[in-house]
Amino acid sequence: MRILLVEDDRLLGDGLKAGLTQSGYAVDWLRDGEAAVAALSTESFAAVVLDLGLPKRDGLSVLQWLRGRGDATPVLILTARDQLDEKVRGLDLGADDYVLKPFDLDEIAARLRALVRRAHGHPEPVLTLGEIALNPAARTVTRAGEAIELTPREFDLLHLLLQNAGRVLTRRVLEEQLYTWSDAVDSNALEVHIHHLRRKLGNEMIRTVRGVGYMAAAA
Amino acid sequence: MNDAAGYSLRRRLVWLLTGTVAAIWLLSVLVVYQRAHHEADELLDNQMTEVGETLLAIVAGGEVEHFVKELHEHARHNPVPIAFEVWLNKDGEDRRLVISPGHAGFETGTTPGFSEHTHQGARWRFYSVQDDDAEYRVVVGQSHAARERLAREVGLSLLLPAMLALPLMALGVWWVVGRALRPVDVVARQVGALDAQALTPLDESAPLPNEIAPLRSALNALIRRVTEAFDNERRFTADAAHELRTPLAALKVQAQVALRAQTAESQQHALTQVMAGVDRMTHLVEQLLTLARVDPARQGAVPRPLDPAGIIAEVCAELSPQARRQGQSLTVDAMPGCRIAVTAGWLQIALRNLVDNALRYAGDGARIEVRLARTPSGCTLSVADNGPGVASNLRSQLSARFVRGEVESEGCGLGLSIAARIATLSQARLELGDGLPRADGGHGFAATLHFSEATAAV
Repeated sequence: MRILLVEDDRLLGDGLKAGLTQSGYAVDWLRDGEAAVAALSTESFAAVVLDLGLPKRDGLSVLQWLRGRGDATPVLILTARDQLDEKVRGLDLGADDYVLKPFDLDEIAARLRALVRRAHGHPEPVLTLGEIALNPAARTVTRAGEAIELTPREFDLLHLLLQNAGRVLTRRVLEEQLYTWSDAVDSNALEVHIHHLRRKLGNEMIRTVRGVGYMAAAA
Repeated sequence: MNDAAGYSLRRRLVWLLTGTVAAIWLLSVLVVYQRAHHEADELLDNQMTEVGETLLAIVAGGEVEHFVKELHEHARHNPVPIAFEVWLNKDGEDRRLVISPGHAGFETGTTPGFSEHTHQGARWRFYSVQDDDAEYRVVVGQSHAARERLAREVGLSLLLPAMLALPLMALGVWWVVGRALRPVDVVARQVGALDAQALTPLDESAPLPNEIAPLRSALNALIRRVTEAFDNERRFTADAAHELRTPLAALKVQAQVALRAQTAESQQHALTQVMAGVDRMTHLVEQLLTLARVDPARQGAVPRPLDPAGIIAEVCAELSPQARRQGQSLTVDAMPGCRIAVTAGWLQIALRNLVDNALRYAGDGARIEVRLARTPSGCTLSVADNGPGVASNLRSQLSARFVRGEVESEGCGLGLSIAARIATLSQARLELGDGLPRADGGHGFAATLHFSEATAAV
């Protein structure tokens, strides 16, 4: 799952990027409000982790701009201020959640999962399709109760497909959601991952929509 | 109202006023008494003269026997009884014709006029008068004690009301003073009702006497200053606590990353970051402590004028290794001869922060110039660089606490606050402006401290 992290503090940003990557997220890290606006206007992310005190354009202004253009990407705000009015202001401007510094990496990861889940209309923590069940928190997948070993990239791809079960996802969307700017992507990498998933989960579950993309559907 | 250590203004005023008035009163009563005594004496003397002369006229008229009795009666009923003798000098022989009953004769000489002698064991005043032929001589006398008694009675009749009036006056003074001091009570109650946590100035619309109004104004000015200082401190504590949250978050996250790292390399990286985070927090805490130390209460006496050249050289020597490491050139142009009134330690802190700021924000390879110059009104100490500079609209915010420039840096945003605070406390001015010209035509950043020339030795 691709996350946009906007944090100006070098040490905190570096740590969050490393930590969220460890938790299975693809993290792009930007350090000022204007760069964040530029990235959000051209690309899509599963969620945004937004610091409030940013140079050039502060976090609340970025949030306001994002909601102003009708973008519903979940936003998790990081802040050093614990005053209620600032919390209220952030939430009123369209933030989905709020974390006070200093925080726990696990907490950030869990809150992000919940945000993404709710954004896709899945209130329950485990995604299921037919016999397949995917647990984003534990990063485990089972088929008819039996655990299946997936690589991190395969897991993320399956996660995306299950979140959007019944909808066709284009190659471009899938690639955008899976890879950060720093990832070197082979032109046929996506096909390779799809091939592996079909082998592990059964051929019928992931359908190819010719010339468009892929879709997960119950057999 | 009063305690053991203090004293009651009201009581003191009552004592002072009553005492002063009583003293003046007594003095005037004494004078009046003296005057009354004198007047009474004069009156009695006139009476004696009159009686003596009347008597002489009667005696000389030869009607002695007829009038003596009547005269005697008259003299006896005088407020101060008058006794008398009548002598006849005929053919060189003195003969007493008449004498008041109860008197055996006055032992007086023949000199006319007033005299005082002892008579019947007491002091008497006599008046002697004789006719033109020196045939008849009349002596009238009055007991000195009786005369005194009358004079004293006249005096006392004046003194007594004064004595009675004094306590009444004290009571009146007590009441008047109490009434006059009531505004003090009112202000005391208002001050007593103030909440130490939320000081609010006293209501200045309520009228107060001219003597007390300045006290209230001064008190209100103090309350405003204290409130401002208090708010400032509270804001600072809150700001400082918030500033600590981000580095703490970074430390925690980096530590968690290190704990979970799959490879030795990533663990190494995270731990290095933890170390950097600790260094940065140390710097922040040191700067916070420095800011707390720059406190007027710790300055002590008025600083003696000093020549800053030595301190400038010292600070720059101290920071030059850092400049060399970053490929920056740090040059100093400080001619001796300036005299400014500033605490040496503070000047050191302010300059170190300004140079440190330049080293942090001007970027690698930048040129930094520290310059001490004389101006008509004093001296300026400027630290200028040819770094990226700061847009003029952002400069005004820079000296606020925890505000950093747009450039990425490990600074904690307190350096200029510290310099600005020292400037304020040293009656100097910190100006932020354009620095040295850059190759691209722009300007770097400059911070200048304007000191006014110290007047002679303080």
